[in-house]
Amino acid sequence: MSRRVVITGLGAFTSIGTTVEEFWRGCLNGSTSVADIPSKWNDFHHYSSRVWSPLPSLRNNSRIVNDIERTKLDTAAVLAMETAAEALHNAGLPPSLVDAKRNAYTLAEVDSARTGVFLGTGVGGLNSLLSNAAHHMLSLQQQRLQELAKLLASPEKNEQGLQIVERIASDILIPFRTNPFVVSMIMPNAVSSNIAIKFGIHGPAQTSCSACSSGTVAIGNAFQALRGGGIDMAIAGGVEYLCDEYGMVFRGFDVAKTLVSQGKQPFSHDQLNRPFDRDRSGFLFSQGGCGIMVLEDLEHARKRNANIICEIAAYSETCDGYNIMMMQPNGQQITRMLTQLLQSAGCAGQDVDYVNAHGTGTLLNDATEAEIIEHLFGKKVLVNSTKSLLGHAIGASGALGALVTALSIRHNTTHACKNLQNPVRDLNFVRSVGNHSIRTAVTQSFAFGGHNAALLLKAVA
Amino acid sequence: MSESSTGNSEVYKQVVTVISKVLGIAQDVIKPESNFVNDLGADSLDRVTLVMALEDAFKRQIPEEDLDQLTTVDSTVTYIEKHLLAKSQP
Repeated sequence: MSRRVVITGLGAFTSIGTTVEEFWRGCLNGSTSVADIPSKWNDFHHYSSRVWSPLPSLRNNSRIVNDIERTKLDTAAVLAMETAAEALHNAGLPPSLVDAKRNAYTLAEVDSARTGVFLGTGVGGLNSLLSNAAHHMLSLQQQRLQELAKLLASPEKNEQGLQIVERIASDILIPFRTNPFVVSMIMPNAVSSNIAIKFGIHGPAQTSCSACSSGTVAIGNAFQALRGGGIDMAIAGGVEYLCDEYGMVFRGFDVAKTLVSQGKQPFSHDQLNRPFDRDRSGFLFSQGGCGIMVLEDLEHARKRNANIICEIAAYSETCDGYNIMMMQPNGQQITRMLTQLLQSAGCAGQDVDYVNAHGTGTLLNDATEAEIIEHLFGKKVLVNSTKSLLGHAIGASGALGALVTALSIRHNTTHACKNLQNPVRDLNFVRSVGNHSIRTAVTQSFAFGGHNAALLLKAVA
Repeated sequence: MSESSTGNSEVYKQVVTVISKVLGIAQDVIKPESNFVNDLGADSLDRVTLVMALEDAFKRQIPEEDLDQLTTVDSTVTYIEKHLLAKSQP
């Protein structure tokens, strides 16, 4: 019989909470964080979507990464390391400092060679790529414009030309330098390798890059590695950071018409994000976030008297093989994936108490997903979308959905599907927080590229 | 210890603080004549990190080609006083 895999620690950094406790409380309170997009972004383009979900300051919530290290890391890697530190503390495995110069830690009572890191991210260090590329391309041009401005200022003043040149020069937002560590900042695998470096982990350190399902795939890969017996423990999850100076990434999603927009209804900012509602208009762009789990072989966890949150019983993934940005409208490969997932766990659809849906709020996703849920799980299963609170944190979203699923099993309750007034389908959407018996639950993610992934979680008997 | 004209200046104190943070060593082991590589154990990446930290501390850029001028604490203080702070004078 293959080994059983359990979750023993959680860490979260999100727009509604910078610890897993704060995040879960925010979920149950129906908290959300929606704001106008940064005003500077409007200097470059007029967007259809006008709002996003910003993150709290990471600098004010630092646990383990110092200021010197930050100069050499993309924020995605910092988020991953800080959140991993919380998950390890939460698992009863507080890291201890072993090398002051490197600010490096070790995990006592853990065989580092039989511990792995499995992180998912959509874009890795893209933010560092964009800012360093801007410096590389534009610093000399900015200098030339400043020289031209001086010429236009005297002796015969050209007021109009001066204004134009000064405006162009000031709109060129560039960092102080091209960072000498830029290569190691932008590579997507940095989110996993930096965790391995920080905590002295020597087993496999993998990075999954499958857009919006990255976090789910990463946890699934960790689950399979643990089941296979090559490792006893894993740090697994997803991370994303999307905040460039020019709003370029936001524009990419905006131009593809995937983001929330003000339609005919007079919705406030907080009401625009409406997964599974008939008046949905797209997803709420998130600045990012991170969700991390400590996973262990059940016997390994029991030997150290770990606090077991729940079990991961099955994982499945498929690819639509259909379109790079649009899911297959009949959801054929999603249905196949979920059928495999249930078979692998030895469950029937009716055995599932709760589905943490992908639920982006886009027209096609929610209609297709709701139909599949009814077809496979029936009308009684509880359904919500964590994106109704957080917006879409891309590569972190699947991991954050998995965290919510684990916490829902642990506490026998879950959060409401925010802003859901007129459901797209007659399903048992969670409309308010209450007591529910949640023993078996599914969390699922679908992605640009057609990557579908799902985990089945169970209470430990 | 050699006599240093820079040993007590504000710039010297700031530089020592930065070196201590970057290399993770106590301030009292850092002397004016300390060589980053031979005396303080810095490797090539530490030296690049040190330059970035000095740029941030003094809010001035240090051109890549000047890196070789920054080999000891003394030479670094002299460089900063001559090239970075002199430029910031009105």
